[in-house]
Amino acid sequence: MSAESQAVEVCAFWVGDAVYGIDVARVDEILPRVVPLPIDQAPAHVEGVVHVHGTAVPIVDLRRLLPVGSPPRTAKPKVILARIGRRRVGLRVDGMAGVRRYTLADIHPGGPVPGVLAVTADECRLLDLRGLLADRAAPPRVPL
Amino acid sequence: MSQEPSSVEALLARFRYRPDEDSGGLGELPTSTVEADREPGVDELQLLTFGVGRGEYAVALGMVTEILRARSLTEIPRARPPLLGVLNLRGIITPVYDPSLRLGLPSTVPPCAGPDCEHPPRPARILVVRTALGPAGLWVDRVRGVQRVRGGGLERPRGGPTGGVVGVLPTMEGSCSVVDPEWLLR
Repeated sequence: MSAESQAVEVCAFWVGDAVYGIDVARVDEILPRVVPLPIDQAPAHVEGVVHVHGTAVPIVDLRRLLPVGSPPRTAKPKVILARIGRRRVGLRVDGMAGVRRYTLADIHPGGPVPGVLAVTADECRLLDLRGLLADRAAPPRVPL
Repeated sequence: MSQEPSSVEALLARFRYRPDEDSGGLGELPTSTVEADREPGVDELQLLTFGVGRGEYAVALGMVTEILRARSLTEIPRARPPLLGVLNLRGIITPVYDPSLRLGLPSTVPPCAGPDCEHPPRPARILVVRTALGPAGLWVDRVRGVQRVRGGGLERPRGGPTGGVVGVLPTMEGSCSVVDPEWLLR
């Protein structure tokens, strides 16, 4: 495998006072203003759904899943439309931090927070998006 | 810090996006599948529908590389009508044309190049289409969306000289003419 193919391109964003990253290939679109429609009995981290190009996309607030602090004052909140397999989710983040490129030597396994796979040399925490979102206990359904 | 590259690679396998990765366990999230990326079926066509003046038209989606919000263009001195002006599209000079002349409609494009150019109306878009001579823009008044049709879902154009009208797509509001973008630019 060449060094070129071992590099990872990361879409970096702020959540609280830390920078997190997901694979750029997951990112479909970045939306500036999103007002989700709340859904009944959704888990606490799901804000609701929005309609994007004819499909309903759930919006997940990453600030409720990751440790929070105050983001930089210049950060502008956005929603990242990301893919997990054939599914799509919107991730609410505190601000974008650009696209970064890392080689394998820059990546150090293990993260300070659950859901973080590795941390890069410049403190970007690489997220296991599926691991972070999957298998979260749904609130008990109220029998009708 | 040194570590086994293979262990990093194993971690990155969970980081990297694969279209076929497992997306189970997200049960509580409402479903949203990547429908737009579904491969068109055997005889299925994807059409981008748009409006010019009071007419509704469609072109094959594969011909369109980009949809831009209409913006003011760079004027070309003595440009003849269908040519509106040029656009610097990430370093590629792209001519922008007004399709209404070819479609036999009164032009709806406001002055959009030169000193007396106006702010383009909000729904106006520029469709960037692939042509043999490189990208070209088509100024349209609005873009409706993408419609999938089976080959049999198109009707033959009714009577008269059809020119670049390839077919007619019946829609809820009436019908929409499927046109050849190259013909609109000629």
